[in-house]
Amino acid sequence: MNSLHNDKFRSLLGQGQWSDLVSLVKEMPVSLAADLIGSLSDEHQQTLFRLLPTQLAAAVITKFPYYHQYILLHTRPPEEMREIIDHMAPDQRMQLFDELPEEVWQRLMDELAGREYAAPQTDHAEGVHTALPEAEVTTPFPCPPVARRERETGEIVIEARGVEKSFLQPDGTRVQVIAPLDLSVYSGTVVALLGASGCGKSTLLRILSGLAAPSSGCVLWHGKPCAEATPNAAIVFQSFALFPWLTVLENVEAPLMARGVTAPERRRRALHVLDTVGLKGFQTAYPKELSGGMKQRVGFARALVVQPEVLFMDEPFSALDVLTAESLRGELLELWLNQKIDTKTIFIVTHNIEEAVLLADRVIVLGRNPAHIRADFRVPLPQPRERKSPQFLLYVDYIYKVMTKPDVMFAPPPEVGQKRIYQPLPHARPGGIAGLLELLVDRGGAEDLYHLAEQLLMDIEDLLPIIEAAALLGFARLEQGDVEITPEGRIFAEADIATRKALFRRAALKNVLLFQQIESALWAKADHTIPLELFRDLLDEHYPENEVERQLETALHWGRDCELFTYDSGNQRLQLILHPEEKTDQERESAALENKSSEVKSS
Amino acid sequence: MSRQSTSAALRSFVLPWGVLPRSSRSFLTDLPIFALGLALFYSVIAISRYWSGPLTAQVEIDLHPRALPVYVFYSVMRISIAYFLSLAFTLVYGYIAAYNARAERFMIPLLDVLQSIPVLSFLPGVMLAMVSLFPRRQLGLELGAILLIFTGQVWNMAFSFYASLKSIPQEMREVAQLYRFSWWQSFTQMELPYAVIGLVWNSMMSVAGGWFFLMACEMFILGNRDFRLPGLGAYLQTAASVGDTRAILWGVTAMLVVIILTDQLVWRPLIAWAQKFKVENVEATDVPRSPILDLIRRSKLIAFLSRKTVTPLREALVLHFAHSDLQSESRSGKAQTRTWLLWVLGAALLVGIVYAVFNSAVLLAGLHREELKSVGVGAAATFLRVNLTLVLGALWTIPVGVAIGSRPRLARVAQPIAQIAASVPATALFPIVLLALVRFGGGLGTASIVLLLLGTQWYILFNVIAGASAIPTDLKEVCNVFSFSKFERWRKLILPGIFPFLITGLVTASGGAWNASIVAEYFHFKGKTFSTTGLGAVISQATDNGNFRLLLAATVCMAAIVVTVNRLVWRRMYRLAATRFKLEA
Repeated sequence: MNSLHNDKFRSLLGQGQWSDLVSLVKEMPVSLAADLIGSLSDEHQQTLFRLLPTQLAAAVITKFPYYHQYILLHTRPPEEMREIIDHMAPDQRMQLFDELPEEVWQRLMDELAGREYAAPQTDHAEGVHTALPEAEVTTPFPCPPVARRERETGEIVIEARGVEKSFLQPDGTRVQVIAPLDLSVYSGTVVALLGASGCGKSTLLRILSGLAAPSSGCVLWHGKPCAEATPNAAIVFQSFALFPWLTVLENVEAPLMARGVTAPERRRRALHVLDTVGLKGFQTAYPKELSGGMKQRVGFARALVVQPEVLFMDEPFSALDVLTAESLRGELLELWLNQKIDTKTIFIVTHNIEEAVLLADRVIVLGRNPAHIRADFRVPLPQPRERKSPQFLLYVDYIYKVMTKPDVMFAPPPEVGQKRIYQPLPHARPGGIAGLLELLVDRGGAEDLYHLAEQLLMDIEDLLPIIEAAALLGFARLEQGDVEITPEGRIFAEADIATRKALFRRAALKNVLLFQQIESALWAKADHTIPLELFRDLLDEHYPENEVERQLETALHWGRDCELFTYDSGNQRLQLILHPEEKTDQERESAALENKSSEVKSS
Repeated sequence: MSRQSTSAALRSFVLPWGVLPRSSRSFLTDLPIFALGLALFYSVIAISRYWSGPLTAQVEIDLHPRALPVYVFYSVMRISIAYFLSLAFTLVYGYIAAYNARAERFMIPLLDVLQSIPVLSFLPGVMLAMVSLFPRRQLGLELGAILLIFTGQVWNMAFSFYASLKSIPQEMREVAQLYRFSWWQSFTQMELPYAVIGLVWNSMMSVAGGWFFLMACEMFILGNRDFRLPGLGAYLQTAASVGDTRAILWGVTAMLVVIILTDQLVWRPLIAWAQKFKVENVEATDVPRSPILDLIRRSKLIAFLSRKTVTPLREALVLHFAHSDLQSESRSGKAQTRTWLLWVLGAALLVGIVYAVFNSAVLLAGLHREELKSVGVGAAATFLRVNLTLVLGALWTIPVGVAIGSRPRLARVAQPIAQIAASVPATALFPIVLLALVRFGGGLGTASIVLLLLGTQWYILFNVIAGASAIPTDLKEVCNVFSFSKFERWRKLILPGIFPFLITGLVTASGGAWNASIVAEYFHFKGKTFSTTGLGAVISQATDNGNFRLLLAATVCMAAIVVTVNRLVWRRMYRLAATRFKLEA
């Protein structure tokens, strides 16, 4: 039945009979239609999708990942796009909205302007509406996912509504530094604001802390405007901003002085804080007698002595050498995690990606010209964080991509809840996998495991890795002793050698975490080459030593066979093979998005 | 800390404190300080007795060296009082200009104009006004002199304070704003400390300038009245006009002694103390030191007194302002009355200005054609003379300044000498220079250029030294690596490098030279009156004859020329220096 559809589909596609194809798709079960459409090249996919009636399109589209949905939606003119979304099941629609990165979501919302979609009352969206801040309720659509997740962590301390900043230039023109943005900071979190230098991070920090006024919009502290709320904030500056003519103690006492604290009490509190930051005995020294790290400790002490509700930090470690910064960061984290400081929230501005992932519960990435929020997501890794852990690298890599490719939207890495673990690679050769799949096709698509072993004259133990490998790649399913080929597997089995390699590559990248990491790591490097050692380190935590070697060996085997990368055993480095005609998933996604966004602009 | 131990070692090297037993040591350190306190007390009594005494407009100046200490004392007092008035004015004026944007718009250009006005032209007017204000007391004449010295020294201090306030780093300000410092705390912990170094250096310059004017205004003739105040300036002038060479030498020696003592007892300790306020991230290796400052710091008496008085007072003030600030956050309404008051003051000021301008216009309308012509010719002559002086000054100071500035070892020897030489007021040296010139022939035409040079070359020299020492070493090394010829080195590195500093020096020197021309172009010496063609001579002559109309015309003319030249030439040069020739750190 399936194969019948499949064959007919292929032949019609080959003849270019699009209208017949559409009527064929109408007859198919939706999931099969989606599978078939998904297996087409981008161009064919889009052509076909464009021709589908809106109701069918709405059904088919939900079977795709969200970014794919977004691309497909944009093959249709806006009014049809709206129709398709109208036809989508409410929970599917909500899921799409939730999953889209904020900027893309915003763009879609603009395109759909005027529509209102009620959220479905499912578990999935529980609590979304009850806790929505007013500003967000006024928009017809629920806000992007991050804000929803944040809500769990505590009350809103700072809320920025439609905050923007522009400066009047001498020639009379206005320069927009910060585009209007909404932002809430919740208690109990460490928020990192990341962005390239000069993108307006520090300006945003000053607006949130009440130091600078926004050009329009407002900042609320506990629901009150800044001026009335007299926010209890402290800032740690990149340049330390200590008064060089005051001793360490006098510097730390200065904020207390302004609050009218009497001398003995001031001294007691200052000495206590100095002790906390490890500066006991330095109170009579002048800042210029101290090293950079010590100066920043004074900066911390001065900030902490007022027991700030929100501790703002403006690139606090950037002026320090690497080792000092590292140890100071560790100490800060220690103070924060062990609640040795009376601070509800830390808001750190940085351009250092690792620093952000190391410290923050939530990361906000700012784009530039003017500043706008490009990504806002949680980093749910447990503390203390291990710089070399794959999850950590996944976040670093993600932020890196967001920051370096300003025109592309990426999805944040999956969270711990759906945390993906390393699937151990079954030690099978790609040739064996292909043979198995061919055999399965011959056998009509499914076969009993023991039968299969018998026919191949193999031990079950030898066959099992091959089947597991096929299953891992999504080419086959193993259910209750039956091996069944998947549509992908069938396509693979019937393809020529070159196509097989490409299909294998795609399957490996789609399904296997290790290959995803290898690919993104290679991509991230300008020369697309990385020593094997890195991945050995990655795997070290998960496997015993000899298994690490076997895993690597298999990974190398697969990767080289499907032409994902080459491996030079001389210098032990991997080198990515570029396939320009057939882009990687991300590239495809980005290219399509770019097309779409330019189309949107032109329309 | 190691810093303290090295400074302790240095101290014991300078003075033999280490040998004395502990108790007598602390007694010894306090002894000079105790003596100083007593001296201060006595001088207050002496001054008040003299000031409240009856007016004696024409004091007989005793040329015997025995009389010198008293004259020196009176002169120093005048300068000190004028200086403290200037300081108070500076703080208020600079603060308002820096923080009130509306006031800033006219206060800073006004400062620019006031800086350009030749102070000495005001001598007669101010003196007459003050004497008529206190017709029967010595106080009036004294106040006139003090007011003149004040106007001679206040502007650069005010400007420096304003510029310092404006350049306080953004992040430092944010600290004060974020933690809601009261204005008092901001002022004492941030603004004043930040401005201290600039204030100290400008104070040195101002006091040196004060001596310059003091020499001129302690004794002058206005029409048929001869005003004399007992002081070093009057002593020197009297000695010059009677041609008593020995008395001139005594006077100049006394002058030098006073200047060296002020340098050692006041400026050195102040500079050493001000190092604390340097905004730098690492401690400099070559820190200026002063044994006097160490003495004060070690004094138990001063420490005790300050613990009992200054510390509690400071604490009380800070807390008072912090509390009143915290309270005023809830209520606001004070600001309105203050702006209302400002409007009234502004209106009163405006009326006063209009009235004064009208009256001067009436006065000027009566000018003769010949008087006008003398002003024009004089202006041209002085213009040439001043610029010739600048060129001559630059010609010798640039090579010498660069030589000193690029050799730290030479600088250590040459700089203190140059500083003292610069503090000797040119007016005090005029008699000696004239003496020499009269002996070797050559009229006041040549002499006046020498006199102007004496007064103004130091500004250029110091700035060139500062500029040369600020040229980065790595740029010098680049020249060495590419083995630039001497000519190329000057053209490509040194001249562009010192350009901003040179401009600063020339601007100050130019202003100073115009002002000095009033004294330099017209001089009573050995019972005769020497004079040459020039605007300064016109002013002095008008003063002598009591011709207020001519005096006003010449003064306005001089101020106008200085302001115009500043706007047309120096400001453009400044802009060039700040953009093209700025050495980025």
